Amino acid sequence: MIKDFLRTLVQNRKSLTGLILLGTLIFVALAAPLLAPYPPKSDRIERTVLVEETMGDPEVISEEYPDKDVEKSVYSVTATKTWEKTVTYFPLRSRPAKEHLLGTNHAGNDLFSQLIMGTRISVFVGLATGLFVTLVSLTLALLAGYLGGVLDDIINFFTNVFLVIPGLPLMIVIGTYIPMHGVLPIILILAFTSWPYPTRVLRSQVLTLKNRDFIRASTMMGERTFFVIFREILPNMISIVMSEFFTVSLSAILAEATLEFIGVGNITVVSWGTILYWAQANGAILMGAWWWFLPPGLLIALTGTAFVLVNFGIDEISNPRLRKR
Amino acid sequence: MAEKTLLHIDHLKAGYATKAGFVRAVDDVSFSLRRGEFLGIAGESGCGKSTLAYAIMRLLRDNAAIESGRIVFDGTDIAGLDERAMNGYRWTKMAMVFQSAMNALNPVLSIEEQLVDAVLAHRDVSKKEARGTAAEMLELVDINADRLSSFPHQLSGGMRQRIMIAMALLLRPDLLIMDEPTTALDVVVQRSILQKIQELRTKLGFSVIFITHDLSLLVEISDSLAIMYAGKICEYGPSRELYAAPEHPYTKGLMSSFPTLTGPITRMGGIEGQAPGLINPPPGCRFTPRCSSAIPLCSKREPALVPTSAGRLCACRLCGGML
Amino acid sequence: MTTTILELRNVSKHFRLTGIRNIGKTVHAMDDINLTLRRGESLALVGESGSGKTTTASVIAGMYEKTSGDILLDGQPVRAFRNRAESLAYKKRVQMIFQDPFASLNPTHTIRAIMERPFLIHGLAASKTSLESKLSESLEQVGLSPAAEYLRRFPHELSGGQRQRVNIARTFAVDPEVILADEPTSMLDVSIRIGIMNMMLDLKEKKNVSYLYITHDLAGARYMSTRIAVMYAGMIMEIGPTEEVIANALHPYVKLLKASAPAPQEGERKDEVRAKGEIPSLVSPPSGCRFHTRCPYAKDVCSREVPAMRDVGNGHLVRCVLV
Repeated sequence: MIKDFLRTLVQNRKSLTGLILLGTLIFVALAAPLLAPYPPKSDRIERTVLVEETMGDPEVISEEYPDKDVEKSVYSVTATKTWEKTVTYFPLRSRPAKEHLLGTNHAGNDLFSQLIMGTRISVFVGLATGLFVTLVSLTLALLAGYLGGVLDDIINFFTNVFLVIPGLPLMIVIGTYIPMHGVLPIILILAFTSWPYPTRVLRSQVLTLKNRDFIRASTMMGERTFFVIFREILPNMISIVMSEFFTVSLSAILAEATLEFIGVGNITVVSWGTILYWAQANGAILMGAWWWFLPPGLLIALTGTAFVLVNFGIDEISNPRLRKR
Repeated sequence: MAEKTLLHIDHLKAGYATKAGFVRAVDDVSFSLRRGEFLGIAGESGCGKSTLAYAIMRLLRDNAAIESGRIVFDGTDIAGLDERAMNGYRWTKMAMVFQSAMNALNPVLSIEEQLVDAVLAHRDVSKKEARGTAAEMLELVDINADRLSSFPHQLSGGMRQRIMIAMALLLRPDLLIMDEPTTALDVVVQRSILQKIQELRTKLGFSVIFITHDLSLLVEISDSLAIMYAGKICEYGPSRELYAAPEHPYTKGLMSSFPTLTGPITRMGGIEGQAPGLINPPPGCRFTPRCSSAIPLCSKREPALVPTSAGRLCACRLCGGML
Repeated sequence: MTTTILELRNVSKHFRLTGIRNIGKTVHAMDDINLTLRRGESLALVGESGSGKTTTASVIAGMYEKTSGDILLDGQPVRAFRNRAESLAYKKRVQMIFQDPFASLNPTHTIRAIMERPFLIHGLAASKTSLESKLSESLEQVGLSPAAEYLRRFPHELSGGQRQRVNIARTFAVDPEVILADEPTSMLDVSIRIGIMNMMLDLKEKKNVSYLYITHDLAGARYMSTRIAVMYAGMIMEIGPTEEVIANALHPYVKLLKASAPAPQEGERKDEVRAKGEIPSLVSPPSGCRFHTRCPYAKDVCSREVPAMRDVGNGHLVRCVLV
């Protein structure tokens, strides 16, 4: 069955493209330190060169004549090395050039390196949020949908409340108040504002499956509730769960970039969003410095597109029209 | 003077393309239909009967198409006509009633709108006249005209099916093709629909091709019967005679698959195995794996559909089809 | 060991409708149902859609709690399960075969995974080897041989008939005493049906189980059962030995059913069946006798009082004032 899934994903041209894009991005994220020409926060190159090395002439330190026939002398040699350290500061706000493929920013950091290292954060935050939210909403959906009753009512209530609250303003408000250390706060904020959407979708799916004959047959056989939920219902939801995962990841990447761009996120971290933040803060658009703001924007769009394309393939999996009969 | 033969299907081949290959659901089918005749086509799922119906109406779409053969309707071969020309045939000369009325009726339009729509699409009349035709037709199927403003979901299954029939007969076509029209209905409603069809036939004189898997139903209502198996017609003839003395092993098998309401209760044999897939069918007679009278020759040579007595055809070695 | 394995005494099941529009409305799915099922007997429960026959099976199966009345299994009253042990004990004795062979098997599980569950849940296999042999035995028993070939497949790789065999094998795995068969063949091809029915009859003899065979098909009921109960709008209208009820139908509704059923051996239909009206809604069923709105013999009293069941001898009971 998993083989069937993978085969469908690969056979669909759109999702294949998406997968290749995604694969490339993940590869870049993992290999970032190797691919980036300079450390992202560095604004200079220090080169220390050995300029001179002199070897002095041997000098006799002591002479001994222990024996008439043996001659012994002890020598010493002095050597000196002279280094020359050159510090090349990167130009500030420079245009693309051989040394800096995308130029430099206001602090002299190489933008190309920042872009590559930023991939790590953006992709990681996106996928981590996606994973976390998917797990949480799946659990809530399974419990609410299958068990029903008061539990369903409570979960539904909170889902509906959160669906009504506008996501972005909520994110900004929370983000402004909590201290930003690292990216974990961002992941938590994103998760906190995006959990209701997949919960609602997955719950509907659970409700549909609950009334299928094979579930009734399972309960009729005496299967425990826990097993019915996780052994009977869950496997039938894999494709829609995957679809939600990609959707949430996509929105997480966009939301993260948005937060960073506004300056609510952690601006000391190097991500595509923060690059855009600094570009904006330094008037890059006015300057016409397209090499500063365009590449991160494009990459965000590209990553989003990759997720959408993969979702096309997942649609094919969940659409029963394509199931073998 | 109208020709006696209304429809003549000549070596028709049609099917649909799938990833695994071309499924030839209609494989070299030929038969004739007279004016006013009721032809029943019996076959199980996957035998190609629905594809045949859609092919005759030229409704095959997407990956389904007619491969070869002629469909001669009232003297003209419509197999190759383009859409514009076909519009002149559909609904005015030939109409179709589908299996599930709930799927065929538009749930967001009222009955009136749908019926009037059908009339206006094919006739250049005023809306008032179209409404009049619609009301008239509804009366013929015993539905009160005040139901015109209802929506499909407000009506019962039986009523919806009768509306489907009314819609099909609006423009007084010569041929009505019905694809399992009563399968989803209860037996009492089914009986009333069948009676209604007979009534309308007497009144309006159209021919019917009635497709179903329920052979026992067809025997009572049809003039002739064609039994389809795996894309081919394996037996054909007047229904009473065919029922009384079936010749093809498949037909005999089918007969022994229907428990009876009267007479002794004995164990019935049915037919072993299941119908073959239609992608790359095996050579020879397609019924061989399930046939109790099969000999080795049956899986090598395909029997032809040959006449066995007046008006009867059979495709089996037992009927002399392996010449 | 009593001879009566299952008994329903005056069982009713009403569903309360939810929603603001439906305050105070209930669906009278079952009203005053009385039936007995003896060991090794097959009782057919016949009715059209909306008759309450599926609800009856669901209530017996324990899926719904009855609104009133008593259900006795082997003489012991059946109450709502207080714990898992009670639930399992009941489910080991009463099992159900579902109608739709496509929907009753989890598409993501292999047949092995599906068939293991009954044995593992009810602790019927002491060891791995014992489980293996039981798995093989269950599948071979229903004609799926070699078992290993079927165990490793997924449901979508099996035909409709094969899937239904798996369903039946699963039901028999726990060795039940009562099997509720909810239209087990209605979604199968005609030529496959009789094979499944014959298999069910054989298994009944071999294992001495009782069937409550639910169907809308009178002829099928005659083939499969020795006693029959006909339901209409939530109530039993006639009950008795199958041959007796079918040959000498006394209730007008049963007569209507009989007249509507396909009967190709009869030749031309002698009396035309004129059924007016349709199956009533169970939310507000007709007052008095529920069939009075459609009954050609209805009297005044029929709309006022619900007729009691009258015994006409030989275990044949009818709910009608005309008798």
